[in-house]
Amino acid sequence: MAIFGPSANLLTKAVLLAGTGLFLILLLMVWVVPVMGYNSQERYAPQQPVPFSHKHHVSGLGLDCRYCHDKVEVSSNAGMPPTETCMTCHSQVWTRADVLAPVRQSLAQGVNLRWTSVYVLPDYVFFDHSIHIAKGVGCTDCHGPIGDMALTWKATTLYMSWCLDCHRNPAPHLRPRDQVFNPHWVPGPNTPSGAELMKAYDIHPERLTDCGTCHR
Amino acid sequence: MTNPARDYWRSLEELADSPDFAAVVEREVPRFRDVLDKFDRRQFLTLMAASMALAGLSGCGPEPNPQQRLPYVEAPPGVVPGRQRYYATAHTRDGYAEGVLLAHEMARPIKVEGNPDHPASLGAAGAITQASILSLYNPRRAQTVVGPGQISSWEGFVAALYRRREQLLKKRGEGLRLLTGTITSPSLGAQIAALQTAFPAMRWHQWEPLHRDNELAADQMAYGRPVARVFDLAAADVIFAVDSDLISAAPGWLAYARQFAARRRPDETGGKMSRVYAIESTPTLIGAKADHRLPMRPVEVAASVRFLAGAVGAGPSQWTEIQSPHRDWLKEAAADLTANKGHALVHAGREQSIEIHLLVELINAALGAHGNTVRLIEPPVVSPTLHLQSLSELVGDMQAGKVDTLLILDTNPAYSAPADIPFAAALKRVPFSVSLSLFADESALLATWQVPAKHEYEAWGDARAFDGTATIQQPQVRPLYGGHAPSEVLAVLQGNTQPDDLTLVRQFWQRQQGAGSAAEGNPQSLAGDAGGGQTGPQSSGSSQPALAAAEAFEAFWHEALRRGVVANTAAPPLTLTPKAGLAEGLRPLPLGGEAAIDLLFRPDEGLWDGRHAENPWLLELARTFTRLTWDNAALIAPATAKKHGVKTGDVVAIATRYGATKAPVFVLPGQAPDTATLWLGWGRQAGALAEGVGFDAYRLRGAAEPWLARATRFEKTGETYRLATTQGHDRVAGRDLIREFTLDRFNNDPEYVKQKSKDVSLYPGYIYPDRAWAMAIDLNSCIGCQACTIACQAENNVPTVGKDMVHFGRIMHWLRIDRYYSGSPDDPDVAFEPMPCMHCENAPCEVVCPVHATVHDHEGLNLMVYNRCVGTRFCSNNCPYKVRRFNFYDFAAATERPPESWNPDVSVRGRGVMEKCTYCIQRIKVKEIEAERDGRKLRDGEVVTACQQSCPTQAIVFGDRNDSHSHVARRKATPLDYVLLDDLNTRPRTSYAAIVHNPNPAIGKEQS
Repeated sequence: MAIFGPSANLLTKAVLLAGTGLFLILLLMVWVVPVMGYNSQERYAPQQPVPFSHKHHVSGLGLDCRYCHDKVEVSSNAGMPPTETCMTCHSQVWTRADVLAPVRQSLAQGVNLRWTSVYVLPDYVFFDHSIHIAKGVGCTDCHGPIGDMALTWKATTLYMSWCLDCHRNPAPHLRPRDQVFNPHWVPGPNTPSGAELMKAYDIHPERLTDCGTCHR
Repeated sequence: MTNPARDYWRSLEELADSPDFAAVVEREVPRFRDVLDKFDRRQFLTLMAASMALAGLSGCGPEPNPQQRLPYVEAPPGVVPGRQRYYATAHTRDGYAEGVLLAHEMARPIKVEGNPDHPASLGAAGAITQASILSLYNPRRAQTVVGPGQISSWEGFVAALYRRREQLLKKRGEGLRLLTGTITSPSLGAQIAALQTAFPAMRWHQWEPLHRDNELAADQMAYGRPVARVFDLAAADVIFAVDSDLISAAPGWLAYARQFAARRRPDETGGKMSRVYAIESTPTLIGAKADHRLPMRPVEVAASVRFLAGAVGAGPSQWTEIQSPHRDWLKEAAADLTANKGHALVHAGREQSIEIHLLVELINAALGAHGNTVRLIEPPVVSPTLHLQSLSELVGDMQAGKVDTLLILDTNPAYSAPADIPFAAALKRVPFSVSLSLFADESALLATWQVPAKHEYEAWGDARAFDGTATIQQPQVRPLYGGHAPSEVLAVLQGNTQPDDLTLVRQFWQRQQGAGSAAEGNPQSLAGDAGGGQTGPQSSGSSQPALAAAEAFEAFWHEALRRGVVANTAAPPLTLTPKAGLAEGLRPLPLGGEAAIDLLFRPDEGLWDGRHAENPWLLELARTFTRLTWDNAALIAPATAKKHGVKTGDVVAIATRYGATKAPVFVLPGQAPDTATLWLGWGRQAGALAEGVGFDAYRLRGAAEPWLARATRFEKTGETYRLATTQGHDRVAGRDLIREFTLDRFNNDPEYVKQKSKDVSLYPGYIYPDRAWAMAIDLNSCIGCQACTIACQAENNVPTVGKDMVHFGRIMHWLRIDRYYSGSPDDPDVAFEPMPCMHCENAPCEVVCPVHATVHDHEGLNLMVYNRCVGTRFCSNNCPYKVRRFNFYDFAAATERPPESWNPDVSVRGRGVMEKCTYCIQRIKVKEIEAERDGRKLRDGEVVTACQQSCPTQAIVFGDRNDSHSHVARRKATPLDYVLLDDLNTRPRTSYAAIVHNPNPAIGKEQS
């Protein structure tokens, strides 16, 4: 009596096939899943207490970024606007809008608004807004088309490789200082080249990749 | 070791590792093995499968981001998230203010720095002051008002005290007693004076266990009045220290240490140095820095001071006719002092007898020190009192039933009273007692009312420095755990049921300004200014002058708060001469007791009188000479140890006339023979962390012998006790680590140190074209105070590890002070050497790291990348300086410390990660970014490391080596500069200035 019947062939093939499939799936999980935008929360807009629209405020009304994020030029932290900043206008306009109820409530009761961070860095990364602004990195370089976002979503992966892309080769990301806050900036014919700006801003890429630049 | 990751907040049992405690731990945290026993295989697999499935579920979809941001509703002016701001206030030690600046991040204090404008700080801050930030956040602080037998509230307490007040008013205050520590606060002084007027029969007692009674009694004898002294060490060419705490604990020590060190750097002062003599029974910092030091028993110290007095003409000349092996030594020292009249200074520590203090005063007068190196001033203390007498009177009255209301403010006599003054027992006889304290301490537990106190950084108040300069203390944060200020409790007694410390302090200063007498800064006149809780005189009219006065006061108030100093409040100088014939009137010295052991009571370097016993940083701070952590011990000389047949760790039974205790022995080189030094402040009976840690030396201390007691028993018990010292950790012995030589040699052959260098390599060095960060540490200036160690710990989120881990050599301090002895163990020379990371250019740690977790940057910093580290510990193995620290357990997470108290600019390291000194890279980067933002070069001195900032003697200098004008480059250019282990060709960035001694050529080395 044969040990392996005819069905054994099929079984072997099936096992081999399933094994290969499983291996490929594992490979996918290990290599691809971590870099999927799905995992990095790229293009993800978390729910906020107020559906704040940068599109309306920046592109529509033409507010400067620094009207709300007023510490961006002097501190590591760009600063989230206090409730009173919202209320400078919203005590006059849209005073009865339902969506703004949390803002009015915050001011009336002295309770902080609780925004959910869109950009979150690990605790061992120390990012500084002010130096990027000073060196001519525009807001949209990291925050994407922020001026056109109806809801704020994460425009990048925030992976270290993404940081390093620019820290290794900053030139393509630089703009004249007066265009840093322009959400729709495109280089014009008279725009100084990246190399020129590097020189003007005294940027030394070799030092930008020192670990201590970001990790302390 | 059953229980890893000793958390410094846990109890004594854990530290002692007792079997009882182990049993408790077993029950509360079952080990995995115990868990497994309870399951069968099938159950286990089911659970595992279920948890796997659930883990899969949680991976679905982008996780809701847990990080929330809460912007202000109304932004407070000036607060910039991500940037530090500094606010001035003062920290007090024994009542004396040391000005501090607290660094705030998003309006919460995270770090204490010295206030450069404050005369008692000059920008430096000692270890205790640095550690005060941890006490502020300590979650084990008292938080609840406890009334008689029940939990109450502040309102309940106020009501009870107010009712009490009504009764007391009828009796004119009969039975009302106040017990405080030393008070320099002008406003509290005024408040107490006002109370005294309202309650004429009230009495105010003072108890500070580390009192200065002997000094005060000597001053009473010499001048008939209390005085205070301000020393000028910059003018002192010869200093003679008698068991002196001049540069370690005396009020103003930070300033004195700065002046002292400035005279000890021959490379900066043109080859000139001061000369220091020290005679002492137990090692002190100034003794360690002395050019000539003699350890001697207290009775010999007394005889030596008499000799000195006789020799310089301050006492009868027959005093010089003593039989002593040190006679020649003393004679030469006296001659040196006499030769430097007007530039000489003698100082005795607080623990010395009345006679010694008196003689020292007379010697200083004879040496023309008054007006030159010593200035007499009006005492900054409100109503200087003999504390022992004050306390014993109080306790006598308590026992006699004469006290029915006792307010204990910020002092803990139930623990710290002398053993023969039964305060704790007497307290039970007081029907209404209140203890206002930071922790539920021994006195609080016995009092009928426990009221949590505000930490100094939470309260409005004021305090004077050693020279009388007043500081208005402003709260740095709202009271974290409730709590109230002493002024508020006193205000209730004054009839104010809604007291508020701001109003009380502000109104006091308003009156001062209004009266225009603040400029005089006379504590007596301030204390005499009665009235509390009422409105100032300005409020009556609304006329123009009143308005101008109000504006002027506003300006004064803001300026005083901003600077941390009230201008022109230094105490006025006194011109006094000691009475004549005092020395002649002294009784002959009693003959020394042979064989007996003298017990010396000394404050603990960290816990002080016990008030910092809940502070883990200070518990784990390795003591300067013993390197002992988490314990105190009886410190005895090697010869004494031999005589009694004991060694370090043996437990001895010690008894005096007042009490008995058991204590482990620690054999300390340089201790005087037949003496045992006992640190006060340990062996607490109440407290979360400190309870029972160490032994309580107060139990041996009697009122008649507060500093020096004769042991009636000192016997080996046969028990042993495990002491955790860092002394044996990281031994680098036998190598050329300390270089020291004499001033003569320095002046004749300045290149001596350089010649010993072996800096040779065939390979060219690395080139750092831009900046090259470097540190220079001056060993001549380093006095071993360890302010830098705690400053580093606070700045860099360095965790504490607990006694067991220290025992295993796992202490985490990034910056340690190595203490080296040389010479005979009976009287060795001591050298201190701060050891941060050397930031070697050829770093041995880097080449062995398999994951590149430690690498160099372009400015020469040896970086530690925590997120890359996998914990092989190869780097630590390969580090010749042993400055790398490994997180064997999750030390940081195991600490019971509010998250907001950590420095947000530094990563908190997790388990399995190596860490080490970074040259405060976070401070470098902040300044670098600031400079680049402004488009300028970094200025020298802009980047200040935490250790450098705290150092009272400016021993540590940090900066850019490539800038030849920088301070660090200048220090490195001196002929004294050398690097450690240069034969290894590590090319360290941290270098040291060799020690130079200035011995008296007339005194042979064999004698000193």
